[in-house]
Amino acid sequence: MPAPVVETRSLAKTYGPAVVLREVQLRLLAGAGAFIIGGNGAGKSTLLRILAGLEAPSDGQALVFGQDTRRLAARYRRRIGLMAHQSFLYPNLTARENLEFYAELYSLADPRACAHQWLGRVGLAEVADTRVRAFSRGMEQRLSVARAMLAEPALLLLDEPFASLDHDGAEIVAALIRGAVERGACVLATTHGIPEIDGVELAVFEISRGRLMQHAHKEEVRRGGRIRSLLGR
Amino acid sequence: MRKDLRLELRSGESTLALLALSMLVLVVLVFALGAARVRSVDAAAGALWVAMVFAGMLGANRALLAERDNGAIRGLLLSPLDPSTLYAAKLCAALIFMAVAEVGAVILMVLFFNLDFDASMARLAPILVLGAIGFSALATLLSAITGRTRGGDMLLPILAVPIFVPALIAGVKASAAALAGAPFESMGDWLKIMIAFDVLFVTAGYLLFEHVVGGE
Repeated sequence: MPAPVVETRSLAKTYGPAVVLREVQLRLLAGAGAFIIGGNGAGKSTLLRILAGLEAPSDGQALVFGQDTRRLAARYRRRIGLMAHQSFLYPNLTARENLEFYAELYSLADPRACAHQWLGRVGLAEVADTRVRAFSRGMEQRLSVARAMLAEPALLLLDEPFASLDHDGAEIVAALIRGAVERGACVLATTHGIPEIDGVELAVFEISRGRLMQHAHKEEVRRGGRIRSLLGR
Repeated sequence: MRKDLRLELRSGESTLALLALSMLVLVVLVFALGAARVRSVDAAAGALWVAMVFAGMLGANRALLAERDNGAIRGLLLSPLDPSTLYAAKLCAALIFMAVAEVGAVILMVLFFNLDFDASMARLAPILVLGAIGFSALATLLSAITGRTRGGDMLLPILAVPIFVPALIAGVKASAAALAGAPFESMGDWLKIMIAFDVLFVTAGYLLFEHVVGGE
């Protein structure tokens, strides 16, 4: 049986008296695509930050590539791509400079060519030399996705990747997620609704009151009244 | 560090602020001390170091400020970059900003305190370099802590200045001696204090930075 890319064991997270995550059990293999749905403040972003090693769990364990996320060595951190609510981009650098900077951080072979390639993939080639501070929220979001995927990570964590995107932007990001899953990356994304990504079988989880539940199929989620209202159906 | 310098060259915010602050401090002190003391090397050395400390705090704060916009510090922490390397880069950036401010402050000090550009300026240079290294090392480490708290900008001087006092006193004494034309041997003890301070806080920053920014 292949080793999971992501595994949590009775994971819990509290902020003072507030319990955000409790008894979270999650196991994802390479090539898996999964979405986590849940309302605002449900704990989706917290779970992603814990898996990225940016926050420590209060109890239980989070493992990526079999390593405890509290002490992720550089060689494991480089295999994780995180797109969070904050874009991690420098407003006073251009789109190209931002991607080149991150490409250099990840020691990619040709940072300039890599940045050029990804700017094309996310449809920002024409504004490559525009400072990020002049970007709309949607453009910044696309660039943030490119930044997260730049080093072709084996684990891609995306926090609401479709938020703020227009139809074209959503299509681009959906295609990139499909491409990542097809090349064998494990993709875990949070969302309020469930996007359709052709050709990818997505697992769907829901976080409610800090607990993570898996739904067998997208249709099961859509049949649920509470989720239906979340999706506006 | 190249990215920090590029950001600074593009905006010029920090350098201009550091120079303006240095000038303001020196002007205020020249008027406060009055004409009688304006040629005193003790007063000039004191005024120079006050300007340097204020400029150093501003520089260290600015060096980490860019990383807090859009949470970029998290992008750095998630990357394979070693946090100690990040500290070294931030220290170098703060040091460069402070060095620029020091050059400006020395020129202004010579003008405002009616001093001469002579060999004493060359003797002053290594003292200022030692002071800049120590203060940048301390302020970079502390700004990583205070930047995470509300009102952190206010907290930085409250924490940094008392800790810097030993090196500050040594720097003022050594600078006054250098400006008076005293040989290096006579300032040996003051320079040793400054070197010890530099070694202590560069090492502490290198070892502790990971833990300080780790919970961002």
